[in-house]
Amino acid sequence: MRLLYQILWKDHSRAHLLGAFLGTLAGFVLLLAGIQFYMDIKGILSDNRDLLDPEYIVINKKVNIGQTLGLSRVGFKPDEIEEIRGQPFADQVAPFISNEFPVSAYTENERFPDFFTDLFFEAIPDEFIDVKSEEWQWDLEKGTIPVIIPQDYLNLYNFGFAPSQGLPQIPKGIISMVNFKLRLQGQVRGNYDDYQGRIVGFSNRVNSIMVPLDFLEWANQKYGYFKKSDPAQLILVSKNPTDPSIIRFLEERGYDTIREKLKSSRMNIILKFILSFLVIVAAIIIGLAFLVFLLSLQLMISRSSEKIRRLNKLGFHYREISRPYILLLLLLMAGITALSLLFTSLLAGQLHHRAETWSMDVSSSLHGIIYGTALGLILLISIANIGAILISTKKLCK
Amino acid sequence: MTIRFEKMIPLPMLEQDTSGSEVWEAEALLLHQEKRYVVEAASGRGKTSLLSIIYGIRSDYRGKVFLDDRDLSTFTLKDWSLLRKEKLSFIFQGLELFDDLTGLENIRLKNNLTGYHKDERILEMAQLLGVDSFLKRKAGILSFGQQQRMAIIRALCQPFDFLLADECFSHMDHENSLRAYKLILEECEIRGAGLILTSLNETGLPKADLNLKI
Repeated sequence: MRLLYQILWKDHSRAHLLGAFLGTLAGFVLLLAGIQFYMDIKGILSDNRDLLDPEYIVINKKVNIGQTLGLSRVGFKPDEIEEIRGQPFADQVAPFISNEFPVSAYTENERFPDFFTDLFFEAIPDEFIDVKSEEWQWDLEKGTIPVIIPQDYLNLYNFGFAPSQGLPQIPKGIISMVNFKLRLQGQVRGNYDDYQGRIVGFSNRVNSIMVPLDFLEWANQKYGYFKKSDPAQLILVSKNPTDPSIIRFLEERGYDTIREKLKSSRMNIILKFILSFLVIVAAIIIGLAFLVFLLSLQLMISRSSEKIRRLNKLGFHYREISRPYILLLLLLMAGITALSLLFTSLLAGQLHHRAETWSMDVSSSLHGIIYGTALGLILLISIANIGAILISTKKLCK
Repeated sequence: MTIRFEKMIPLPMLEQDTSGSEVWEAEALLLHQEKRYVVEAASGRGKTSLLSIIYGIRSDYRGKVFLDDRDLSTFTLKDWSLLRKEKLSFIFQGLELFDDLTGLENIRLKNNLTGYHKDERILEMAQLLGVDSFLKRKAGILSFGQQQRMAIIRALCQPFDFLLADECFSHMDHENSLRAYKLILEECEIRGAGLILTSLNETGLPKADLNLKI
């Protein structure tokens, strides 16, 4: 029905439609690019946390000369822990429990060089640990003790120690395969047991050698004979880690934390905030452009209202009359989808190029979610517009 | 198809004197497909209203109208569009041509919808009415008489049980009116269709089956 298109397309307002097209396109590129970079940066900072996730902060007392000389203790006293618990920024606080008996680790394996070291353990409740592993379970029957070590230790070895000593670097997967023995020693000479040890994960959050809490409680019961000491470290969860009162409080009390980590996670948060802001702005632009779309199509229909009534009198059904408007809409939408994906992937390519020189890993291709978002939004806008077109043409028909 | 009115009167006619009208005063009125009706009256007697109500573009009336025993008020938009493609054709007094389209395009717009006539027949009809040389001109620049003939040809480009012709010869000379009337009757004959033709005054056309006083 070429004639139908000829009749009804005549009354379009090129300026309105072009404006709506460009506005929606700009909004889409902004939104898609925002999501693309958000995904990339999320990958780079790789702590898999979302903007609204709470911050885990490990704090300890500053070591001073008094402690070195044994005049004051390094641990947190119960009333100090209570005080921290009472702070508005602290949503949850848990002390680190440490071993109260000697621990040592050694290897008994032909494939690895022999190795023996004294060790320490610490434990906190599972919900504070950033490693989720099915192996993170203590089972006396199996006798394997799962251990989590800091990611930093592995980095220290791989990027510091190994290259300087001419040793091979070890990927995470291999380390988990290394079997080693853990010897837990009781007070009486000869009262010791050997267990199988296994590294099940690497923590970015806790700078300590971690074992499951129930294991350590059990082991302290069985082997422990050291004088109970106050916990040297606390982990606290804050829903509002940007709260400056945290740092103020820590300084006043002479407590210490890994500032850099706090700082980088704050940077992370700021970046994510900026990107979220970008996405919100894009959403507003898309929303407005959508309105312009809706209004220009409605204007087009109302300009053609006489013609639509006439076509209806000649026997055209309102769905047939709607078709030219729907086709126009879909053509514009297809254009917006194609162009916005094109521009976004060009931008991604550019960023990939730049990021390479900073040796950052930014993907040059679009993330799957980009296609999903684009199609989902286009579908939403199209359906809403088609609905409006059908309603307003129907109104003109008898 | 039959058209039946039961005490039907357009709301605006209620304020007028309709005494003597065979349409508005009738208890019931039945129009048969095989007949040709001519409704002659001065303007303002509701001729166009009558046709518009049958065609479903006006619904401001009291009483009931049935097409084949189905109440008009139960027709959906889809029913109406089917009806206008297959059962009812209307030659509008206001013509309802698209000025921007040529005469031929105006005719084709309808013919494409129904696929009723071949291009040759359209040309033939245009020749019969003496407007074949105007087919390629924009309808907006044709004279009203020429436009009327385009509208007549367009109305014939579909199957129908009833042809509703609203003062369709008003701007044609007697000779052209006769030719157009002849064509209309022929096309009605082919379809076995009824005709309801309104006219302002004595048309001088060959006798219809029934003159309705409105």
